[in-house]
Order: sequence, then structure tokens, then C-alpha cells
Amino acid sequence: MPIQQLPDHLVNQIAAGEVIERPSSVVKELVENSVDAGATDIRVDIEQGGVKRITVTDNGCGIPADQLTLALTRHATSKISSLDDLQYVASMGFRGEALPSIASVAMLTLTSRAEGADQAFEVHAKHGNLSDIRPAALAAGTRIDVADLFFNVPARRKFMKTERTEFQQIDQMLKRTALAFPHIAVSLRHNGKVSWQLPAANTQSLVQQRLKKLLGDVFVDNAEQISVDTNGLKIEGWLAQPAFSRSQADMQYFFVNGRAVRDKVIQHAVKRAYADVLYHDRHPAFVLSLGIDPAEVDVNVHPAKAEVRFRRSSDVHQFIYGSVHRAVAEFKPGGADVSSPGFMRSTVEQPSSPMQERFDTPPGNHGEQTGSTASSWGRPPLSSQLDLRQVNEAMPALYGGMPSAPLADAPSVATDPEDIARSAPQSHPLGYAVAQLHGVFVLAQNEQGMVIVDMHAAHERITYERLKSQWSEARVISQPLLMPELIHVAESEANAVEQFDQWSPLGFEVDRSGLSSVKVRAVPAVLAKGSIEGLLRDVIADIVELDASDRVEQRIDELLSTMACHGSVRANRKLGIDEMNQLLRDMEHTERSSQCNHGRPTWVQLSMHQLDGLFNRGK
Amino acid sequence: MKLSIAKNDLLRPLNRVIGAVERRNTLPVLGTVLFQLNQGLLELTTTDTEIELKDSVQVDADFDFEWTLPARKLFDILRSLPDDSTVNISLAETKATVQAGRAKFTLSMLSAADFPKTDSVGASTRFDIVQEDLKRLFSRVDFSMAQQDVRYYLNGLLLEIEGDVLAAVSTDGHRLSYAKHQLPAMVAEAKQVIIPNKGVRELIRLMDDPATSAQISLSDQHIQMRSGSLCFTSKLIDGKFPDYRRVMPLDNDRIGTVDRNALLAALNRVQILSNEKFNGVRLQFAGDQLSVQANNPEQEQAEDAVELNYSGEALEIGFNIRYIIDVLKVIQSETVEFKLGDSNASVLVLPPGVDDVKFVVMPIRL
Repeated sequence: MPIQQLPDHLVNQIAAGEVIERPSSVVKELVENSVDAGATDIRVDIEQGGVKRITVTDNGCGIPADQLTLALTRHATSKISSLDDLQYVASMGFRGEALPSIASVAMLTLTSRAEGADQAFEVHAKHGNLSDIRPAALAAGTRIDVADLFFNVPARRKFMKTERTEFQQIDQMLKRTALAFPHIAVSLRHNGKVSWQLPAANTQSLVQQRLKKLLGDVFVDNAEQISVDTNGLKIEGWLAQPAFSRSQADMQYFFVNGRAVRDKVIQHAVKRAYADVLYHDRHPAFVLSLGIDPAEVDVNVHPAKAEVRFRRSSDVHQFIYGSVHRAVAEFKPGGADVSSPGFMRSTVEQPSSPMQERFDTPPGNHGEQTGSTASSWGRPPLSSQLDLRQVNEAMPALYGGMPSAPLADAPSVATDPEDIARSAPQSHPLGYAVAQLHGVFVLAQNEQGMVIVDMHAAHERITYERLKSQWSEARVISQPLLMPELIHVAESEANAVEQFDQWSPLGFEVDRSGLSSVKVRAVPAVLAKGSIEGLLRDVIADIVELDASDRVEQRIDELLSTMACHGSVRANRKLGIDEMNQLLRDMEHTERSSQCNHGRPTWVQLSMHQLDGLFNRGK
Repeated sequence: MKLSIAKNDLLRPLNRVIGAVERRNTLPVLGTVLFQLNQGLLELTTTDTEIELKDSVQVDADFDFEWTLPARKLFDILRSLPDDSTVNISLAETKATVQAGRAKFTLSMLSAADFPKTDSVGASTRFDIVQEDLKRLFSRVDFSMAQQDVRYYLNGLLLEIEGDVLAAVSTDGHRLSYAKHQLPAMVAEAKQVIIPNKGVRELIRLMDDPATSAQISLSDQHIQMRSGSLCFTSKLIDGKFPDYRRVMPLDNDRIGTVDRNALLAALNRVQILSNEKFNGVRLQFAGDQLSVQANNPEQEQAEDAVELNYSGEALEIGFNIRYIIDVLKVIQSETVEFKLGDSNASVLVLPPGVDDVKFVVMPIRL
């Protein structure tokens, strides 16, 4: 067959293969266009899981009539206009591929009324052929109607899942958008019935309500806010208490400048920040939004933009790790909602409404959300900066504004001698010790009711944190080796070893000694007894991946954790009231003291209400 | 079949061979001791498939037989019996009965045919050495053998014969110990073998008769030691031991001499406040005083000093205190000599005036 230029329609279909994979990708593209158009109200109407019909209506800036046809043309966009713009993409889309791609695999009707225009117009595309522009009825914004998706791509149709599954994908996708843009009202209808609708959340309580609807009451009750802003990096969001951990990494929402992404650097940073307080098979739950200068992040690396690349990924890693780690450390007894309902419910994790049940199903493969692109939305190019600004303005509304020190709200205490309680209100959230149970548990009472403390677990954490702070002051001592140890690595790893210049703070001295081997000349003295080769390989893998490594620190922490375990009071040790009270006070002042070193809770609150319930009192 | 023997006559050889028996075994027969009775000679064998121990005793019996008994249980039973008791062992199909006085124990037997046999040692190198000398040689260096290191060839002791010099070397990568012994006669073939940790420890334990001579045979796979009725066989570690000669510092020219016991005592005191994980200690060689100083993560600090005979430039150097204490415990002389380079270079520690034992210790960067 001779080489020939492919017809435009075929090119669009091929492009559609990358961008439009299933109905949810269509919704993603359209909704992102609406976001880019500055909409504050987006309605999504689905019929038969999106196969029959998808309609997205917004109140954005609209497209002028004379640009309607252009909007459906390939590589036509209003979002960027030069290479410089591409390096500073602040809008969700930028490639100008979405609409023509969709139009090539479905019947598409684009209706829009540009801002200030006195009438709406529509254009209809079928099989890649555009109809003439006709006057139409629409109050404001844009409506895109996509019918009979994949009618001309039988192969794709065959791979469609059931209506229910496809709808769930759409549901999950839209849910992420709703999390990222609290200021936009979003509603979803399926087969004519309202599935859910969220009003624009411009106040703190509305934002809370939105979170509750999307992630469930339990998450919100157990989550703490985080808001850190330094050096052009800004992170905001909600972190769940370690007690509210998940067996799957399904409640992890990360947005970079409003874009939902999966990124190894970010995931590693958050996981590591939680490492000390979670059981190893558990995953933290969080909603985090990173605000970063668009020039510092490359979004043009993945057709569906599910991945991004940071220009200085180790800085981003360090920032996220540091911020989250500090926030987790500050979860203290008496903090927001660690009290009984949290602990009790976290093990049950019941959905509280049918709608929430839907939300609680694990979100689908993030890779399936496809790139948002838009052709020329008729609005001045300058407004492409608009939504970043909006995001940044909306974020404090969503995540900020709450008291950042929940400790201040600590419940006041009821005490054994009640006058003590009155003289020192609000200072001792864990209350005062009453007795020791079977040499294992400390029973205390506070204002809410009863506190039960696992004595060993609590003391272990206190000892561990003390050891950690003592050790963190010193640098890592290095033990040079009598005979350098030769370790064979991959060539790329040897390159990384050669380029890495932070070996000495880690206690290592490592040289490259050949194409694919390195020589270890010194090792961290504390860890000199274990297998150095294994440790070094882990460190090198980290360096290749993240350009930094905290393995040494991690190993030292493990060592300290063992020391702490051996150095703490064991079960069956009789404690006097004074000792027990001291333990409670130490817990209140120790970071991460709600979990022992292995991630188990150290204390539980039983409220008077719950105790009453046990005896059917007051019924 | 019945056998009668004085308790101590049986306990003595059993005590010598019990070391090869591990407390936990995946193969049940490894937990047993093999008895082979042949023309009145009762031979006891134990093995962990790595080392094999054999000893024998003359008994009064008129039959030949092979059987096994649970080694630890039999050992504990014998030890608990009065010293003058006579033990009667009667053997049936699968059970053996051990009787002494009114005490009676029925033990199960495993098939003697399943007991692992060591291949015969086709030795190429042989020499004789007095037990005392072998024991001293090994116990001077055994402390610095690596334990469960991935560099498997360090988990043992290098035994080297060259002419009439027998040398033992061990290292864990941070320090190295070297000791040598002059053999009475030249050995024809030079040889280097690595004896695994457990074999070294057992050999040291078995050398309990100072004046007796022991014959050592070396093949490529095994080392065998025979002394009297005792026979010890161990597999060798098949690997290349690092060239210890290249590790010996040659141009360390700052030499300090201190009283060994005084320094040992000072280090033991200071150690109390050293970091319990890597035991760092700072040694300061200056003029006529060696000061030692340690501190721990709690910011507590210990200091001490001993008299020093030192002419070099003042030098401060950090060590793992355990490494220095280990060396000082092994050296027997009254004073000990430190040959120093700079604070990052390895240090040679040895008794002054002799060259049959020396220790290299790597400093740490405090």
C-alpha cells in the first residue's frame, strides 16, 4: 500500500481512541471545558450509562456564533496560543482535541450563547460533518449534547461495561471534580432522575456539607484540616485521623492546581508521612490540593493528564512530606474528633445514606479519566488564567478558615476530685486516672465519660517520640569499613550514585567503581550490624526515583521503635494513681500519641451517653 | 539387648559431642545421637550436617548394634542422675529404656540408617599441634568473626598454613584480628581454609586437655581434628577470604603505649554513658595522657583518662568502644600499643614487642 495522508475524519477517530475511552472520558472532557469556561453551575445528564446520551450544561462564558464551527475543528483552542502558554498551562485543557474527537465518534450538538450575545446558536456534527449554524434557545452558557456514543466504532462498543458500571465511572469522575472545585454547583442526573446535586459551596459549612456528601460523615468527623503555604507551594485539604485508615488506597484525592492526578512522588510523600502511625497494610484517607506555579509543573505528559511531572520533584516531595508529617504529628488527644464516635465508627464505616453508599464504592481506575481539552471557547485568551485564580481563591473557602489548632477546642474535663476539674478546665482532655485494670489498662474519667488507655502502647509511643527527638538532634555517625564492599547495581543506578551528592549526611560513603558497580567505603554506624547491601539498594532505588532518600532515617526509626518497646512499662506492672496521671499528661503532650508505634490506638473514649446506652438508662 | 555402663563413662563422651546438636531441627534425626556398638567400642556421633562430632568409650557388651536416642533428653537425664549410678540401657524395636536405680525412662528411637554420614575426608594437608596452642590461637581472634553476614566468607575464621607458620584471621568488615603460631615442623603444602563460626566455637570448647596433641587434616571441603578418642569434622566455607595483608596499616607512625588494665577499666566506666546503639567513644592521644570521653543521646557525658606514653602529634579519634574493649580483653600483656595514622585511618593495636598477634580497628567519624 502506498503511503498516503489520512483523511481528517480518520485522524480524529484515532485521536479519539486515546482521549475518549468510555462515556466517563466524554464527561470529563466536557466538564473540564465548563470549568475552563468559568462556569459556576454544571449539570450533567446521563442516559443509559452515557451510551445513549450525555448532556453537559454550564453557565460559563459561552462561545460566539462565529466560532462555533471552529470549536469543533481539530487543534483549535482558546486556552493557549503560543509555546510560552504551553509551559504555563493554568487551564484544565489545552490541546484542542476533545470536541472534534468526541464529534468523530458520536452525534454531537453544541449549543452556546456567548456572554452578552442576544441569542444562542447551535451546530450539529454527525460523522465528522458539520451542519450549518442555526439559531437555538439557551439562556446562558453552553450545552453540549452527545448522543449514540461510539455508534460508528463497533470495537469500542463491544468493550463497554454494563450501564451501571459506566455510570459509576461517570459518578466517580464527577465526584472528583466536585471535590476540586467547591465553588461550582454540580448536579448529576441519570435516566431522568436526580442522582445527586451539590449547591455551590462558598461558606465553610457548605464545604463541610459537600465533603460529607462526597466522602461520608465518618471521613469529615475524623479528618483534620491542613493548610500550609510557603515559597510558592501551597497545600490545603483534609487528612483523616490514623484511626480512620482504609484497607485500600481508595480515599485518596490529590489535586494539582485543581487537576486530579495520581503521582508517585506525592503518594510516596503522604504514605511516608503517615508511616509512623499506621499499620503497615493500611492506607491513609485524604483530600489534598497542591497549589503550585504552573510553570513548575508539566501537565503535558499523559494523554489523559492523569499524571504530571514536577520540575523540582524533590522539593515538592519534601514540602508535602513535611507538611503532612507535621499535621499528623499534631493529631492529639482532644483534637477534633478522635473521641469515641470516631473510634467506634471507624471500624464500622457504615454508609449513612443510599447516596453515600454509591460514593463509598471504590473509585474506578484514575487512568480512565481522559484529558480535558477544548476547542475555542469564545472567550478572551487572558481568561485562561481565570480558573487558577479561582481555584486559589476557592481553596481557602474549602479548606482554610477553620481553626488550625483543634486542641484549643479540647473538651473540658471531669475529674476524680471534681474541684480539680473546675479549677483546671479544658486542660486535660484525657481526664484523671481512676484505676488500673488487670495490670494492662488505665481507666480514667473525663467530662465526656470514661477513657480507657492501653498502658504499654501509650508509654511505648511516648518513649519512642522522646528517643526520636533525642536522636534527631545528632547527625548520622559514619563507620568507615576496613574493606570496601563491592555491590553490583544497574548502570543507571551507578550513574545515580555518582551524581548524588548527599551521601555523607546519610552516613554513607559510596563511590562508583565500574560501569555497573559501586564501592561502599563507610556506612551509618547505628545500622552497621544489619545487611548493608539491602539498605543501600533501597537507598539507591529511592535516589533514582525521588532524588532523595529517607531509608536511613526510616531504619533508625525502626531501631528506636524496638528500643522504645523494650524500654516501656509492660503489662502487669502496677502503677499508682500519680504515675497513671503522669502517663495521661505525657500522652497529651506527645505527638502522635493516639497511636502506638505499630498504628494501634492507645486509648478509647466511652461517653456517658454510650455508657447509659449499655444499661438502657434514660430511655 | 542390654547394655550397662557407669553414668560418668557415658556422660563424658556425650558432653563432648552434644555441641553439634541444634535445639530446633527440621530433620528429627539431627536431634539424636547415634550409638554404634562394635566389638565392645561404643561410638557416639552427632551432626548438624555442617559439623560432625564423634567420641567413643569402651563398654562391656557382647553384641554389635546401631541405634539413635534423643540427644538433649538423654543428656539432661544423665546429668540429673547421681554421680555413682550405673545406667542400664535396654533396646527394643522402637523404644529404648534407660534405667538407673529406681528411675526409668523410655525413649523413642529413630532408625540409625537415616542418620546422615559425613563423606570421608580425603585430606591433603596434615599437621600436629598441641591443644593448648590451637585453643589460644583461635580464641584470640574468634570474637571478630562476622555473624550472619551476607558476605558468607566472613562468617568464619581463616586458617592459613605457610611453611611452619599457622595463622588465624577473622574480620567483620569493621575490624580484623590476626594471630599466628609457630609449628614445630614445616608443612609441605601452603593452604588457606575458612572454618565456619560454629565449628570454631566447638573446637575451642573441645580443646579441654591442654597438653594433648591434636592432629589436623585439611581437604578442600573439610577440616578434621583428631585427638585421643575424639574426632571433629567440619565442612569449610567455600569462598575467598579478603587479603588481610592489604588491610594491615604499614605506615602508622604515631605510637602510644598504655597500661592495658587501666584503659580497659576506664573504657568500661565510660561505656555506661555511650550511645547504646553504636557505642561511640572519643580517644584523645596527647602528651602523657590518653583521655576517653563518651556521651549518649540524652546529652549525658562520661570522661576518664589513663597515663600514656606518646610522642606523636596530638590526635583525637572515635571508635566503637566495644571494638577496643574486645581487643583489650584478648591481649594478655601488661601494656598495649596503639599505632595510629590520622583520625580517619585504621589503627593497629598490639602487645608491644611481639608480632604474633595484632588487631586492626576502623575508627568511626564522631
